[in-house]
Amino acid sequence: MDISLIVDNWQLFAEGLWNTVWLVSLSLLIGGLLALPLALAQAYQIPVWGRLSFWFSYSFRGTPLLVQLYLIYYGLGQFEFIRESFLWIFLREAYICALIAFSLNSAAYACEIIRGAICQVPQNLIETAHAIGMSDFQIMRRIVVPIAYRRSIFAYSNEVIFMLHGSVLASTITIIDLLGAGRKLNAKYYVTFEGFLTAALLYMAIVSLISLAFRMIEKKYSIER
Amino acid sequence: MTHPLLSVQNIHKAFGSLEVLKGISLDADPGDVIAILGSSGSGKSTFLRCINLLEKPTEGSITLANEELHCARGHDGQLHPKDKDQLKRFRTKMGMVFQSFNLWPHMSVLENVIEGPIQVENVAKKEAIERAEHYLEEVGVFERKDYMPSQLSGGQQQRVAIARALAMEPDLILFDEPTSALDPELVGEVLKVMQQLAEEHRTMLVVTHEMGFAREVSSRVVFLEKGTVEADGTPNEVFDQPEQYSTRWAEFISRARD
Repeated sequence: MDISLIVDNWQLFAEGLWNTVWLVSLSLLIGGLLALPLALAQAYQIPVWGRLSFWFSYSFRGTPLLVQLYLIYYGLGQFEFIRESFLWIFLREAYICALIAFSLNSAAYACEIIRGAICQVPQNLIETAHAIGMSDFQIMRRIVVPIAYRRSIFAYSNEVIFMLHGSVLASTITIIDLLGAGRKLNAKYYVTFEGFLTAALLYMAIVSLISLAFRMIEKKYSIER
Repeated sequence: MTHPLLSVQNIHKAFGSLEVLKGISLDADPGDVIAILGSSGSGKSTFLRCINLLEKPTEGSITLANEELHCARGHDGQLHPKDKDQLKRFRTKMGMVFQSFNLWPHMSVLENVIEGPIQVENVAKKEAIERAEHYLEEVGVFERKDYMPSQLSGGQQQRVAIARALAMEPDLILFDEPTSALDPELVGEVLKVMQQLAEEHRTMLVVTHEMGFAREVSSRVVFLEKGTVEADGTPNEVFDQPEQYSTRWAEFISRARD
């Protein structure tokens, strides 16, 4: 175990850390933005959209993230019309492919979390809003969604951590994320421990920060105390 | 000829083949405090919930301030409102207080009370807050206005729920067993607020098990049994000579006295 190897290559890990952090953050952001309309479409059984949302989340939760990533990165390039379209500028980039796969995957899981929470908002709270004269849309916006969000915090913190750990798959399509940095170090110096252990410790550090952040969010917003 | 504030005529309600309301009519004049009594399963809560259409009646009419609620029969055999705006107007004029308080748990006490005026009546926030503070003061929970509902006792929560109904400045208030979910020692504080509202001549329909309230505070008592009105009169009339109304009512009272 050679600590100096790690210290000397700190820039490599900094690059990996940065790539992991932005890739995961952006995926969670996009996934989170997609998740609410998807969840609402299912929970309120909106014609067509509700079914689409169901099949979307069914397929993205039903298949491994690695398969999704490969299908997007290796699979799409097989089609000539894609290679010839303007989309190819984006789809030939491993980063974009990872971002798409992670975002959609995260959207599917977050959608299920929020949908479940929406369906569990107590009927009597909705009824009370009806009795006061609020419209269905107002009730959704002011009562159902805020309560569902607050009840999703804990489950969503798990999704965030899973997404972080799932993001190691990016290293399989040439991206230097945290694990990619560790692998690169190991390969460069013919070692096994140094690279993986450093990556593991850094992942753990990120998870600690995520947990801490969610604990603060829960303390502020949770309605069950 | 004067018209009653609320006139509910011939309300029927069936859940499938089970008919729980078999034609109930009730008129309320301004300032009436009508206690609706009945054993569980008598249909009293269902009747109250039909008045603001939380429950869709299968037959009947609802007239508030001389305006009839337009309904049409749907495929499910129930009466549905034809005009959403009219239903909204009716509902804002009829406050409702529920057995389980139903404060929105993600909002503070004050936010619960200003929500209706701001969202439904488009009242400016500043005015809504003044209104809310006034009614919270009236029900005696003003100093708890920044608390979350979960930090309050049941009695305090129910008083906030009453303030929330009052903040809509309704013409009448429907109470659906407002003290039934409370610990015995907390019942009194809620009844006291309701008595105070009665003294202000607010129109109230109160489904309750509190015989004391029915007798002392209400101006009229209606007894429902198996979906029909079995007794209807002033507290003095119905309590002093129950046998003249119905044997079931007489039994109900004697059971309550035990």
